[in-house]
Amino acid sequence: MSAQKQKRKKRKDTLVLKLLIIVALVLVVFEGRLIVTMITHRSVMNGSSVNDEADAVETESGTIEDTVQEPSKDNVPAVSGSSGLDLSLAGLPGMSVSSGSSEPETEASRKPTVSNPDSQAIVREAVTAVDDSYFSDAAFIGDSRMQGFRNASGITQGQFFTSVGMSLSKMKSEAIIPTADGENITVAAALSGGKYSKIYIMLGANDLGEYDWDSFRDGFISVTKRFTEIQPDAIMYICSCIYVEESKVTTGDYVNNENVDKINSILLEICENQGYYYLDLNEILSNGYGSLIEGASSDGVHIYENYCKQMLDYMKTHYVPVDSEDERESESESETSAEN
Amino acid sequence: MKKSTAILCAAALALSLTACGGKEKEVSVDPAKLAGELLETVTSDTLSETSADLIPSTYFIEADDMKKGVAYASSGATACEVVVIQSKDAGNTSNVEKQFQSRVKNQSDLYASYNQGEVDKLDKAIIRSAGAYTVLCVCDDTDKANEILKNSGF
Repeated sequence: MSAQKQKRKKRKDTLVLKLLIIVALVLVVFEGRLIVTMITHRSVMNGSSVNDEADAVETESGTIEDTVQEPSKDNVPAVSGSSGLDLSLAGLPGMSVSSGSSEPETEASRKPTVSNPDSQAIVREAVTAVDDSYFSDAAFIGDSRMQGFRNASGITQGQFFTSVGMSLSKMKSEAIIPTADGENITVAAALSGGKYSKIYIMLGANDLGEYDWDSFRDGFISVTKRFTEIQPDAIMYICSCIYVEESKVTTGDYVNNENVDKINSILLEICENQGYYYLDLNEILSNGYGSLIEGASSDGVHIYENYCKQMLDYMKTHYVPVDSEDERESESESETSAEN
Repeated sequence: MKKSTAILCAAALALSLTACGGKEKEVSVDPAKLAGELLETVTSDTLSETSADLIPSTYFIEADDMKKGVAYASSGATACEVVVIQSKDAGNTSNVEKQFQSRVKNQSDLYASYNQGEVDKLDKAIIRSAGAYTVLCVCDDTDKANEILKNSGF
């Protein structure tokens, strides 16, 4: 009997021992992985301060808020006298933060967010910010990203003519803007329904697969000209197409940052030639290397609340003062008369 | 005497029953709290609270008809949204429902050519009224949403 008991006890001890070995093995495996991760993480941190920032940024917007800088004056060029390089680097989350490495980052790897940083069409940061009342007579036209901006930025004023999946052709002629009576109307018809002093257009994300860029350019000019006919006194702000986080995009290979850069260069050129104003939103949304800040979006395209709020702050500090508008108009008029 | 008392009692009972039938369902909820609870039924997206100032122009509800409104919407990634409107007059809820139906249809049409997966959610959109409150809920867990609404008197 006691021999049986001893046998049982021995079996029990063996079982406990086996369990302890399994636990130890699991700990060794996982801790080992953790150590490896820590080592590799540290080497990445030393290599780039931007990656450092991206690591800290979690996918949850709440965490992002604590880690990503606001578009501070340190990051954004002044109203005048900023060099093109400053502009292209402005808004980088990690640029002004010391990574602990004494090695300066290579300038060559950094990517400008605009094709022509010295362009007069780019709206520079103003000394004073406007408040939401500035948008009370503004019409916001755009795709799901503009819709997301309305939903998440906290903006309280302005009329939004947005539609999920809005592309240039849809903006031009399709009845995609809902109305109170349940019928949809075109953007132009919606714009005709009120008097607006500012028009903000955010488009391009649904046109990235459009490789006939000349056709895109002509179409965009045509539709915006129509808008200016409807609202002749409105300041036309063209928002840059926001970068994407390519690794998260599932909607097609054409949704890539090379195409974003291409479309943005066209939009800036249009602004220069047509007297519109270009809002370089990538100034605050780029990771510095021609891509959306890592972790700023769940699907790589639509940005989280915190970034929408940063966009609103950007718009409040990037506007056209009335005298500046008059100046540019007279410049444009004198150019036209000189040509004639 | 007994007969007349019985008739009077029957009439009183009939009148009280009629009155009960015609009376609006008495529901009292905190729109913000209800919207917060419904928010938990959205698991595929992180919704943001939209400014209450933009609710009238977004959902085509007259600001004067609305006592309180709370809306949570997507940053554009999904069609999910949670809206709770408290009308000043309970008689206005049918109009709010109509606007919500129109919005869901419109969103569904747009998403059909953009992101088919979201159309399924829109097909299951919950639009319901109780008392002076109307709810629109496009979410991932409709069973849970229905339960929350039931517990809130909807």
